[in-house]
Amino acid sequence: MSELTARPVPVSVSADEVREWLRDRVAAHTGRPVEEIRPDLPLTEYGLDSVYVLGLCAEIEDHYGIEVEPTVMWDNPALDPLAEALVPLITAH
Amino acid sequence: MTSAVPVSPARTAGVAGDHVHDKHISTLEELFGDAGDPVNPVGRAEIVAADERGEMLAAGEDLLTGFGLNAHFVPEALGGRFTGLEQLIGVMRAVYRRDPCLGLGYGAGSFMAGVNVWTAGTAAQQLRLADRLLAGDRAACAYHELAHGNDFSRTGLTALPGPDGRRRLNGRKEIVANLRRAGSMVLFARTNPAPGSRSHSQLLLDTDDLDPGSVRHLERFGTVGMRGVQLGGIEFTDCAVPPGSVLGGTAGLGVETALRSFQLTRIALPGMTVGLLDTALRTALRGARSRPLYGGTVTDLPLSRSILAEAFADLLLADTFTTVAARSVHTAPAQAGVYASAVKSFVPPVLMRAVYRLSELLGSQFYLRAAEQPLFQKLLRDVQPSAFGHASRVSCQSALLPQLPLTARRGWLAAEGAALPAETFRPGMPLPGVRFEDLALTGGGRDPLSRSLVAGAADAREDGGIAAQARFWCAELDALAAAASGLGPGAAGPAASPYAFGLTTRWAGVLAASACLNTWWHRPPGADAFADRPAGVLAALHRLGTHLDHHRDPLPGALAEPLYTELVRRFDAGLTFDLDCRPTGA
Repeated sequence: MSELTARPVPVSVSADEVREWLRDRVAAHTGRPVEEIRPDLPLTEYGLDSVYVLGLCAEIEDHYGIEVEPTVMWDNPALDPLAEALVPLITAH
Repeated sequence: MTSAVPVSPARTAGVAGDHVHDKHISTLEELFGDAGDPVNPVGRAEIVAADERGEMLAAGEDLLTGFGLNAHFVPEALGGRFTGLEQLIGVMRAVYRRDPCLGLGYGAGSFMAGVNVWTAGTAAQQLRLADRLLAGDRAACAYHELAHGNDFSRTGLTALPGPDGRRRLNGRKEIVANLRRAGSMVLFARTNPAPGSRSHSQLLLDTDDLDPGSVRHLERFGTVGMRGVQLGGIEFTDCAVPPGSVLGGTAGLGVETALRSFQLTRIALPGMTVGLLDTALRTALRGARSRPLYGGTVTDLPLSRSILAEAFADLLLADTFTTVAARSVHTAPAQAGVYASAVKSFVPPVLMRAVYRLSELLGSQFYLRAAEQPLFQKLLRDVQPSAFGHASRVSCQSALLPQLPLTARRGWLAAEGAALPAETFRPGMPLPGVRFEDLALTGGGRDPLSRSLVAGAADAREDGGIAAQARFWCAELDALAAAASGLGPGAAGPAASPYAFGLTTRWAGVLAASACLNTWWHRPPGADAFADRPAGVLAALHRLGTHLDHHRDPLPGALAEPLYTELVRRFDAGLTFDLDCRPTGA
């Protein structure tokens, strides 16, 4: 659980970094190799929909030390737009 | 029937608003009269007869219309009498005590539709539904499709724009109360073909506005219990809907609105169903006391008294948990979703098991169609849908699971966030109003009811049984926190392991224990003799341990005897068995 409790709180972070971290987590959540997780496909493709995606939201909060509206996961259904949406929140923090 | 016994001072002392609320329930009780009177048109005999015919009791529906039950589903600001969840539960519980079919089939369906509109409707939509309900009309809450069960994000019914830009309904809804006779409906539909949680909306529709040629009503669905409730289906074929039907005016918010607004109904429905157990317990006790056996009556046997006392304790447990959850909607609305899912997953099975055990009390008598049995058999059937109706146990556990690891880390181990305000645990005391806009999708990892357990245990000044229980449940919370924070990713989701689902049950158990202990710690001075002694709360906690498989011990005699004595006292005085302990003719 080390990656969940450590809070690096980066000063600045790029959308690429956020997306790659998200891909790792989605892979871990769904038990698939990370190479299979495409950042342009909706997470529902991997079975992460409605309330189940909220677990990922909790990990984002813990990892980056931020609070996010869970609906950000629904408004940005794929990892590309989600990473873009998270960057300003992380930077602001 | 209504004897001169005063209602518990805990409920009335110095609370102007609650005098009004008490008066509504008393009025309803008076209208229903003595259920045992054979010529009462809304008495037991007529209720059983209507059930045998598979009909709603018409005289009961007229009575509720005269009483203005619908007004209790409409917020005060919109002209109704809805001021809070506890008050609504109190009124509806009085209906459930007489006939659960009337409760569900006359009222609860309209409330389910209503909460969607109060949470997410535009001002005009709220006024429109309020006016319809206050005029005595019904609203159907049309979510369910047989193919998808409680998984409403896979809803098949579509409301997509046609060539002229107007949305058109295609598809069907099944097993929805009052579909055929409701003047309004809240219809859950797919408004975007894309997958995801932004593709659905509620539509608020007046049934008169729909072209009858494109609407087909399905045959009524027959059911084992709740036989009178008109569970219908509807099929739309290219049915145009008026502009402005989408709830809130913006399409795509349907899943969010459902998850937020149904927090109220997930608490309210189990709370109402406590009234069913109240009458089942009363009916069983009446039967047991009049049944000669082994040279006495059934109630002379220690085993029988133990079963009755345990059902009473189950009722107190269910009521305490739902009452605290209902009040927490006012004091911690952001966490209401967690407590609603915990209540809806945990309480209905407690009620069902209690009714089932009471059915064993009368042994072979239960098989007969005589005396108290037909009513009891009806209640045993009517309690069944409480487990899966509206939101199933598994769907509620699935809503808790993704929140478990964060709650463990943030709310339990890091002890973030405040405990609940003390008034949460004082039934009948005034509360701030319900702020629908504060209902949230997740609890954000905070769990103020568990914080209240830890805080209360640290402050408690007592020894003995209560202190031991407080220590036990705090240790259980610690163990649960350790187990939940070790859950790997992927533990949440429909394919989660039975172990992970089991952790949500343990969470509900801790919450129920906190509700019981804190209600005890915050009991008002001058509570009546029973409420001022720990037997009730200790018995409820003992039963909680049974329901969680901590033990299989019967209620110890030191708890069973005072509970049985109180049960009989209330029975003889015509008082309800819940925390309210109010006069009833049921």
